[in-house]
Amino acid sequence: MPQSPPRRPRRPVRARGTSLKRLRIGFVLIAMVMSVFAARLLQLQGLDAAAYAAQARQLGAVTEELPATRGAIVDREGAPLAESLDGLMIVADPTKTEKDAPQIAALLSRRLGLDYIHTVQVLTDSEREDGSENHFGYVARRIPSEQARAAVKELDDAGFKGIDTRWDPVRSYPGRDVAANLLGFTNRLGEAGDGLEMVYDSLLKGKDGQATYDVGGGNRIPLGDNSTVEPVDGEDLQLTIDRDVQFYAQRVLRDAVQNARAASGSVVVMDTRTGELLAVADYPSYDANGDYFTKRDHLGSAAFRGVYEPGSVQKVLTAAALVDAGHVDPLTRITVPEKLKSSDRVIGDYFDHDTLRLTMTGVIAKSSNIGTALAARQMPARRLHDYLRQFGLGQRVGIEGFGDSAGLLAPWQDWIQVERDNIAFGQGLGVSAVQMTAAVNAIARGGEYVAPSLVRGRVVDTQGRVGGSAVAETRRVVSPEAADATTRMMEMVTNRSEGTASTAAIPGYRVAGKTGTAQRVDPRCGCYGRQFTVSFAGFAPADDPRFTVYVVVHKPRNGAGGGATGGPVFRKVMGYLLQKYSVAPSGAPPRMTPVTWTPGSGPEGDELRSRLEDRFGGSRGAAGGASAGLSLR
Amino acid sequence: MSTQLGAATRQRARFSRLAESAVERARLTVVPRGRTTAPRTPFAILVGVVLLLGVVGLLMFNTSMQQASFTATELEEKATILNAKKQELRMELDRLRDPQRVSEAAAGLGMVPMTTPAFLRLSDGTVLGVPERATGDSRFRLTPLPPAMPESFKLKPEIVYAPVEDGQAQAENPGTGAPGLLPEREAAGSQERPRR
Repeated sequence: MPQSPPRRPRRPVRARGTSLKRLRIGFVLIAMVMSVFAARLLQLQGLDAAAYAAQARQLGAVTEELPATRGAIVDREGAPLAESLDGLMIVADPTKTEKDAPQIAALLSRRLGLDYIHTVQVLTDSEREDGSENHFGYVARRIPSEQARAAVKELDDAGFKGIDTRWDPVRSYPGRDVAANLLGFTNRLGEAGDGLEMVYDSLLKGKDGQATYDVGGGNRIPLGDNSTVEPVDGEDLQLTIDRDVQFYAQRVLRDAVQNARAASGSVVVMDTRTGELLAVADYPSYDANGDYFTKRDHLGSAAFRGVYEPGSVQKVLTAAALVDAGHVDPLTRITVPEKLKSSDRVIGDYFDHDTLRLTMTGVIAKSSNIGTALAARQMPARRLHDYLRQFGLGQRVGIEGFGDSAGLLAPWQDWIQVERDNIAFGQGLGVSAVQMTAAVNAIARGGEYVAPSLVRGRVVDTQGRVGGSAVAETRRVVSPEAADATTRMMEMVTNRSEGTASTAAIPGYRVAGKTGTAQRVDPRCGCYGRQFTVSFAGFAPADDPRFTVYVVVHKPRNGAGGGATGGPVFRKVMGYLLQKYSVAPSGAPPRMTPVTWTPGSGPEGDELRSRLEDRFGGSRGAAGGASAGLSLR
Repeated sequence: MSTQLGAATRQRARFSRLAESAVERARLTVVPRGRTTAPRTPFAILVGVVLLLGVVGLLMFNTSMQQASFTATELEEKATILNAKKQELRMELDRLRDPQRVSEAAAGLGMVPMTTPAFLRLSDGTVLGVPERATGDSRFRLTPLPPAMPESFKLKPEIVYAPVEDGQAQAENPGTGAPGLLPEREAAGSQERPRR
């Protein structure tokens, strides 16, 4: 067989270079690169992940604050007294608005009523003190959004750049000064200051929300990151105040105070049955929207906070207490001397007279200090003090958080004779207007005191206290018969011939009231000076009282007393109330009660004596002879 | 031997006949080449179509969502604007209902506040209360009085003291406006004279 040529022995096959070594080097290189990758991966994902995510979010994401709308404050019928409106603020980027500042300012001042010079200054303020650029400036705050939008649109159409709007809610008080003394106000930041705005801030405020979303080209990206916390709007607050009555009372009061050239005054209107305050008017007051004429001491409600000596209106409380304790009744005969000695002082009446023979009704109708003091001496000081406390004097009225004053009523242990006599007819103690109204209202309500309330329903204020008309406390002070007897006495006050306040009478209605003219203490001498506080308290209709109105005017300079100054105000306000709430007169004839008595036992005296003997079982008579004191003969 | 041989042969022959028949029975033949395979194209087309639909559908869905978000933003803006308009109208309503404005308008028409409330009962026509003609007595100012001028603004009368000759003054001006002045001057004058 032929054999193939012998093969050459094969050399061991070798690639160019050492493949194994190259392989190893390559492997090491790759391993190094991969480990760098791994480390970087660890760093990015494990360590810095949060920071990068945040950066990414910032780049395309927008966080918008969703402000909560502040709750409105409305009156008893729902008319708004304070409300929140959408508003916008106009802001500018001065670096962009600088060159067109005059035109922009002219347009804005024409459209929105802004100050031209100030606007130009803001628009051209593009450099800060340290030389850096200023990209932000406030042009106008709290403009209703419709107006602001229209103005900015006009600017855009004209081609001016650099003006933008931001959310800035406006708190508006449509009534301006109506109920401003009660509402308080909100400052430029929207925070509450004073009054109901502050007391019920937690209720009205609500809670702001927040929305975060991605934005592209001015629109939301639906599949982007998106989270929304809905804002919780504040709740509305409903007051017991009637806006129309409040307006009417404020205007009538202002007119009266200005006519009398007095320093200040208050009118308080209360619904007799429920104790709800329908109006609390003060003068001077202010525009709650804020204006240049607001003085600090006009803020707040003097009807709640101001303390003064009530004067003769107090006599009805003393009379009610005396009748309830059984010491007097409307026909009790009192001999009123010219002057009455008390401790080291002498008490006189506001009118000079010889010895008068007045019934208790006459003492009230003619407002005799001496007669009241004599009648009150029958009662121990402690009892009188307790009755007055029951009427609400010397303690707060229970409307919490309003800065209301408890007034001043000294403890009965500290009363000396002259103080006791003074307190009986309304000097020597301090009250606030709302306190007095609530006290007189107790008589109107058949002897049952009801705490006044300003808010309807049951509401919790910022401090967590519960208040409102639904939780107003009631308590019995005097018996219904005593209240009726006192009402009878008060009806004679408005009698044309016998009473001190015929100006307060309303034809066709039975009106019960009481005037007051209290002397004011002169701080310079610490004694009673020449200035007065005149007042009038009353309720109508007397046979079924619906409203209690109390008027007080401080330091009038026209010399008129409670009947001449307070009476007409009462008549106007009460007339308005009776008409507005359709309270028709019952048609019953007015009750006439004799105000004077003649000595000698006439049929009247016998009847009276026997009636009282039935009641008290035996005749009573104060010590002292015919010259002074009570007598039943 | 031949029987044994024959038997063996016969057995072999039988076995082979059995085997043959078995083989015949179990004869496996190759299946003829598939002319009946199902067509692949429709399936491929189906899958392709599903894929295409899925991709296109997803794209369209995404697009429509974006579109909807634009619409949503637009509508939200519209809602805000309408809300602002509603508030402006409400503000206008409050302004019109303001008791001060209404009172001023009524006063401008010559109306006066009522003096005495009275009622007419419609069921039987009785008049309740004492109806009185409304007079201007119940009127009150709707705007406040202007504030009083402060003391420092009020002009005080400037009193000019005219110089007076000693002897002549008494005779010629017995009752001039400043009676207290003459005795003073007189006293001053007398002091100036040297005492004798």
